[in-house]
Amino acid sequence: MTEAKLDREANTIIREGVVSIINPYDIHAVEEGLRIRERKGGSVTALSMGIPCVVEMLKQVIAMGADNAVLLTDKAFAGADSLATAYTLSKAVEKLKEFDIIVCGKQTTDGDTAQVGPGLAEKLGVPHITNVVEIMELEDDYAECRRAVDKGWEIARVKLPAVITVEKDINTPRFPSIRGIRNMLKPNIAIWNADDINAEHDRIGMKGSPTQVVKTFIPQSKAAAETIMGTPVEQAKKMISIFDELHIKVRER
Amino acid sequence: MRIVNRISIVREKCIGCGVCKNKCPFGSIKIENKKAEIMDSCSLCRACANVCKFGAILVEGEDAAFNTSDRHEGIWVFAELKGGTVPRVVLELVTEAKKLASTLDTEVSAILPGYNVGQAAQTLIKFGVDRVYIVDHPALKNFSNDTYAKIIIDMVRSYKPDIFLFGATVCGRSLAPRISSALNTGLTADCTQLDIDPQKRILLQTRPAFGGELMATIICPHSKPQMATVRPGIFEAVQPLHINKGKIIRPEVCIPDSRIEILKCFEDAAEGFDITKAEIIVAAGRGMGHRENLLLVEELAAILGGVVGATRAIVDEGWIERCHQVGQSGSTVSPKLYIACGISGAIQHMVGLKSSSVIVAINKDADAPIMRIANYAFVGDAIEIIRALINEIKSLKQNQAEF
Amino acid sequence: MSERIINNISKDYDEYLKDESRKTGKADSISFPVTEKEIADTMKFFWKENIKVTIQGARTGITAGAVPRGGHILNLERMNRITGLRYDNGSDSFFLCVQPGVLLTNIRKAVSARNFNTSGWSGESLEALEKMKASACCFFPPDATETTASIGGMVACNASGARSFHYGSTRNYIEGLSIVLSDGSGINMKRNMFRAKGDLFSLTTNNGRVIQGRIPGYHMPEVKNASGYYAEKNMDLIDLFIGSEGTLGIITEIELRLLKKPAYNWGCIFFFKREEHAVKFVRVLRDDSFLPTPLAVIRPVAIEFFNSDALELLRLQKKEGKGFSDIPDIKKEFNTAIYVEFDEDSEKDIVNSVFEAAGRAEYCGGNEEDSWVAATSQLMEYLKSFRHAVPEALNLLIDKRRKDKPGITKLGTDMAVPDEKLEEIIDMYKADLAVKGFESVMFGHIGNNHIHVNILPRDMEEYRKGKELYEKWAYKVLEAGGTVSAEHGIGKLKCDFLKIMYKEDGIGEMRAVRKAFDPRNILNQGNLAE
Repeated sequence: MTEAKLDREANTIIREGVVSIINPYDIHAVEEGLRIRERKGGSVTALSMGIPCVVEMLKQVIAMGADNAVLLTDKAFAGADSLATAYTLSKAVEKLKEFDIIVCGKQTTDGDTAQVGPGLAEKLGVPHITNVVEIMELEDDYAECRRAVDKGWEIARVKLPAVITVEKDINTPRFPSIRGIRNMLKPNIAIWNADDINAEHDRIGMKGSPTQVVKTFIPQSKAAAETIMGTPVEQAKKMISIFDELHIKVRER
Repeated sequence: MRIVNRISIVREKCIGCGVCKNKCPFGSIKIENKKAEIMDSCSLCRACANVCKFGAILVEGEDAAFNTSDRHEGIWVFAELKGGTVPRVVLELVTEAKKLASTLDTEVSAILPGYNVGQAAQTLIKFGVDRVYIVDHPALKNFSNDTYAKIIIDMVRSYKPDIFLFGATVCGRSLAPRISSALNTGLTADCTQLDIDPQKRILLQTRPAFGGELMATIICPHSKPQMATVRPGIFEAVQPLHINKGKIIRPEVCIPDSRIEILKCFEDAAEGFDITKAEIIVAAGRGMGHRENLLLVEELAAILGGVVGATRAIVDEGWIERCHQVGQSGSTVSPKLYIACGISGAIQHMVGLKSSSVIVAINKDADAPIMRIANYAFVGDAIEIIRALINEIKSLKQNQAEF
Repeated sequence: MSERIINNISKDYDEYLKDESRKTGKADSISFPVTEKEIADTMKFFWKENIKVTIQGARTGITAGAVPRGGHILNLERMNRITGLRYDNGSDSFFLCVQPGVLLTNIRKAVSARNFNTSGWSGESLEALEKMKASACCFFPPDATETTASIGGMVACNASGARSFHYGSTRNYIEGLSIVLSDGSGINMKRNMFRAKGDLFSLTTNNGRVIQGRIPGYHMPEVKNASGYYAEKNMDLIDLFIGSEGTLGIITEIELRLLKKPAYNWGCIFFFKREEHAVKFVRVLRDDSFLPTPLAVIRPVAIEFFNSDALELLRLQKKEGKGFSDIPDIKKEFNTAIYVEFDEDSEKDIVNSVFEAAGRAEYCGGNEEDSWVAATSQLMEYLKSFRHAVPEALNLLIDKRRKDKPGITKLGTDMAVPDEKLEEIIDMYKADLAVKGFESVMFGHIGNNHIHVNILPRDMEEYRKGKELYEKWAYKVLEAGGTVSAEHGIGKLKCDFLKIMYKEDGIGEMRAVRKAFDPRNILNQGNLAE
């Protein structure tokens, strides 16, 4: 192992109160990166694309123990869909040169597309495994992973280098220690723009994104809700009348 | 077609009314000194430009980078197999694809890699698929996104479909982004609605955004194929049509070595359990307090002839198996009745249950998000109410028995 | 009026006969008023009939204060509106007006989002809200662990939480109270409006009734305290009601003082291989005069303690896979954990605080690497789940035991002692527990020398013996100048302890105050005294 790199999808955006948090899946990705380093040595690089304040989140990742971090930030990156994001990240990974494993969170909790990890793997020409819940075996040239599939589990062996995307079940992330906080205060974070990574300008940001949002709307709400207060028994009686309306028959036990 | 690459405020025209600020889904507009200001977090979504009555929002752009001159035609459906048979989600895709195809007056094809897939091909044809592209090879027995992607990428390059649909299953969500990345085309995840724009003859892909608070309609106008993954359980699957007019095509494909080897598969403990088929779901969340209280939920589910659903939180807690989980990382369900007990309604959970016909929520907190989407919002302690409900039902039974 | 009173309460209202103490009482009727007038009318009726009334909020108390002893239940859960906001120019502070049934969690949510249901708000309140939206974020400091507690209940028992170490208890944030007395008459009071003259007090109700009496002469211990009436010469009479556990009147509206939210809120857990190192750490956190060289000043807002049994319990629950999945593995060699929290307005100050704390941990025999630091709100949430996991794990364990032996409950203490007695009292707890061979878990607010000792009885014999030990400890704690209840209140379960604390005389003086307000003695029978 020489190097394990990490990727995070763009930061989560919360509109009211504007508290940006690290995408929860990505914290598990960082943790797994650190554990890989503990198992096999090497170094952990955190990579993210986002607005300048994402640096604050990368500092947290440094506090957890990542060796260094890279933030890709450029107005030209704005409005990237998953294809443009995968392309941009792939250019940064190329600049970082060698890697053994790229660990991504399975998905973001807002965009929820889960497309960046596989898209990045294809751009880099390496295989990928999604929904990983355990790295069972880790050798120099392959990894054996248990992954969650629709109705159960699967154990897959993948040749390295590779991209894996992880579920939250894979680990319990650590807290930074005091030393982590010291590292956080003098973080080793590189800030790169589009030219730094030699990105083609028509393949990044909105321009490099084949998908466009043409309309947003509030989902149709259902019939106006009826609020039922009262004692449990009153409420139970009301519930039974709802069952009757729906012609639901209760069964013998 | 122009692509937006800059949004700015025309300060002379802006009156600082704040309508754009409220509309911005990214919180990227602030009002300072009675003028709107666009912050760096702007995602260029143009939601602001559409609402500004004063023409104070300037959208600048340039010509699109994507231009496909080749002619692309037909709708493709990725026919993923489960244990050698065609799962319901593929039939849902076929049904939806046929609707879209009739608007575009084109054909529906199924892409069927695998081993010994003859039977599956016949099933697809029975459901009205016009062409089935078969790649039948022992090396394809187990799904591997590595080989499957390479084969399918080649096929897309030679046959040039206009639209390509995948189920948003674990396989589909792993495979489709690899293919779209290789082809440099767009992919919309987890669509819940598909339509055709009649003028432009392009695919309108609608999906929940921000965890379902907002729906977004997405297009991919300049690159082909237009690709989407589709949530299982949202669309209907018709009965077999028995037209049997479909053709089977076996393209010349070279089978690459896989860099991924599947060593073992095993199913969850609750074998054969499928929450997506349930008509009645009684679901529990952390608000049930303890694992023991799940017994109450199980009892109620049994009385009603339903099954137990669960939030991610209690699955993570180890109260119940994963196959019971409803929501973003679990199943999408559409039962006749969904009873949410002690579930506050994390957005990730709610996207999974929204297509339920009737939602009953029981929660101590009248303001919990679940109460806003429920048809009936019971404010109170779920444990007490369920206990009372079970007692009531039992005594009703007894009374009926007496008469 | 009588149609609002539900007379047939058999079985339908079972849950209202109990609270989190898991004790069950009895009652003949119940009502759910939604206005102050309804409360006053209800009380007039029961006053006339001379029927006992028990007041209820969210029933999250654990001393059975809301468990009825016959008569009527006046449940305030439907008085759950935030009714207004006031801005005071002089102090540049915001004050929130709430009904007693509002839950703490809802107050927090609304204040942090600055988002209120403003229907019925006065123009002045709406103006204050605009001002609030334009100002820095505010917060309501009391942090009772059970966030579904009602604010009325929190005032009635002067609730506190981990951060009370710095911010003090609920009392400090109560600016005004509206009270309905047992005869239906009302008193509206603001802080600094009515004071006792020496030990004499006099109050006039809205309808002209004059209430006079004498402030109890007992000396309140100089520790965090939730035992009996607040009593001090020349005291503000609003403090008499705060912590009176519903024995003097019914709180119908409360004005809360909000503080400006500090920009940074970080927490850290320091692990120690030896308990005495951890306890020493607490000492030097609170007082740097114990350190050989002068060091930076720090202001912890919370200092919490988890002993080896508490950490072992977490390890066990984690291993059994029953949730607790957010909690990282706790290394085997870690014996004791101390949680320290800081609030500061600048990054420099908070960083310095954390480093200073780390330095002091090392001075006491710890290692700064044996630490978990939460430096974001996101991580603070995770750290909170660690802190809450211990009581949760305890409850799970006890629930399991109760299946076989339903008579058993957790035996938890709530006693605090003065700073200088901390080591002595911990040593006493440990020695006694060892002698009896009890299974136990200790954790809690060590910053206030307020440790919850939980005995986990394995059978009824141990349960009985555990109770005896508690009584012994009560005497010892009082000898040390402490209190029998630092935060949970007396309720119906700890009246004997209160009697040990304030003696017959003190209880008699409290009874006299109670009689002045409620001559027929119909309110909250059984609370504070039999």
